Amino acid sequence: MEILRAKGLTKKFGNLTALSNLDLEIPRGRIIGLLGPNGSGKSTFIKLATGLLVPTSGEITIAGATPGIETKAMVSYLPERTYLNDWMRAEDMIAFFGDFYEDFNRLKADNMLRDLNINPGDRLKTMSKGTKEKVQLILVMSRDAELYLLDEPIAGVDPAARDYILNTIITNYKENASVIISTHLIADIEQVLDDIIFISQGEIKLLSTVDDIREKHNKSVDGLFREVFKC
Amino acid sequence: MLGKLLKYEIKATGRIFLPIYLALLALTIITKVLLMIAMPDVFLDSTSGTSFDIPLGISVTLYFIIIVALSVMTLIVIVQRFYKNLLTDEGYLMFTIPVETWKLIMSKLIVGLMWTFVCVFTVALSILILALGNFSIMEMNQGISMLYAEFQNQFGMSPNILIAEFIILMIVETVASVLMIYVSIAIGQLFSQHRIMAAFGAYIVISIVLQIVMTLLIALIPAFGLEYLMNSQINQMKAVEVFINGITVFNIISAVAFYFITNYILKNRLNLE
Repeated sequence: MEILRAKGLTKKFGNLTALSNLDLEIPRGRIIGLLGPNGSGKSTFIKLATGLLVPTSGEITIAGATPGIETKAMVSYLPERTYLNDWMRAEDMIAFFGDFYEDFNRLKADNMLRDLNINPGDRLKTMSKGTKEKVQLILVMSRDAELYLLDEPIAGVDPAARDYILNTIITNYKENASVIISTHLIADIEQVLDDIIFISQGEIKLLSTVDDIREKHNKSVDGLFREVFKC
Repeated sequence: MLGKLLKYEIKATGRIFLPIYLALLALTIITKVLLMIAMPDVFLDSTSGTSFDIPLGISVTLYFIIIVALSVMTLIVIVQRFYKNLLTDEGYLMFTIPVETWKLIMSKLIVGLMWTFVCVFTVALSILILALGNFSIMEMNQGISMLYAEFQNQFGMSPNILIAEFIILMIVETVASVLMIYVSIAIGQLFSQHRIMAAFGAYIVISIVLQIVMTLLIALIPAFGLEYLMNSQINQMKAVEVFINGITVFNIISAVAFYFITNYILKNRLNLE
């Protein structure tokens, strides 16, 4: 069974339609790039999948269930915001994740912190914005989740850490889990993607495997994106 | 999961309160010691004009400042934990952990109430410590029994029931006040801009609505009005009882309404920045 399914998914904010009548099925075991210009509805889609937002109409299901505590336990979400409590230390956050997520793998988190030279005893307040983002990504990727929803995961970190993070993403998920990465930094993540979804003004413009794009259009995803969304 | 939420809530708030309670403890001891030196025995007229008057004055002033600070901080923490932890960036974490929304609200409410009662209890205890030795416990006991006897004599009932009912009213009213703050903040976050202003606005509007409902109730059902009760044939104290319990019930109903509205908004109309 597919990990995520959307049927007639619509979200309106007052008069503004953020997503309109979206139909989508995301299978297990894929890394999907959710690509689109700013304000295209990427974050709204991800927030609907996490249960932070409730659809105006239509439905979205994770492994057959509408978003709720059951799906929250199997979805690992990285928001575009830093949600870490300033007064906590990195190790406090690790304890917090361990307490609330049964699938949290402490060993993974400790190893990744060590690889990125982050001291677990450091207070988050003293960390730079980029370091905080790294800590947050480590927490999210240390879960053995069914579905990872990563909203702009690499926007704030330096290129060197970017490679490590992308490597972390592709090596850290289970075979039957899927990863959805929303970003506009396409060139940087292109090599890890299996599928892409182009989204614009709340509608899907293109849904394809990366291989197909290279074969049919004879272009890179980045090149095609620039063409499709040409201003 | 509620237990784990409570654990983190106590951790997050405890670190703010711990220094204030320590300061209160220190000031209570210092003031007490200075009091004992400056006024060894109040019953035998004080030895005022000693060199301890100035430090005592400073200590007493600081003591009152810390009590006010503690009360204000308790209120601020109740508001801030709900707003900041649930409805700013931290909300992205709190609303994606596998926990029901009502448990998030409950964890904030329970810990908020806990600190309120700790605050009231500690301040009362501290004042008692300061007063100890400045009055005779035996005399106070005698005074209280006299009051009890007189009350019994005049109204034909023990004041215990009335006191108990009053305490219940106080507790219910505290719960309702905290939930009213929560529901106002929840309504405030529905707006895309000026959320804090909107929360204040919501609070004022709810207060006015409650006032109107209260007035209407008294107008429509005369039995709710204290004046009517006092003029009626029933025993005056019975009337006061009816009045107190009426407000208690009113507060319970509002508290339940606030709770369900807050839960509905946070579940279905969450609008994180």
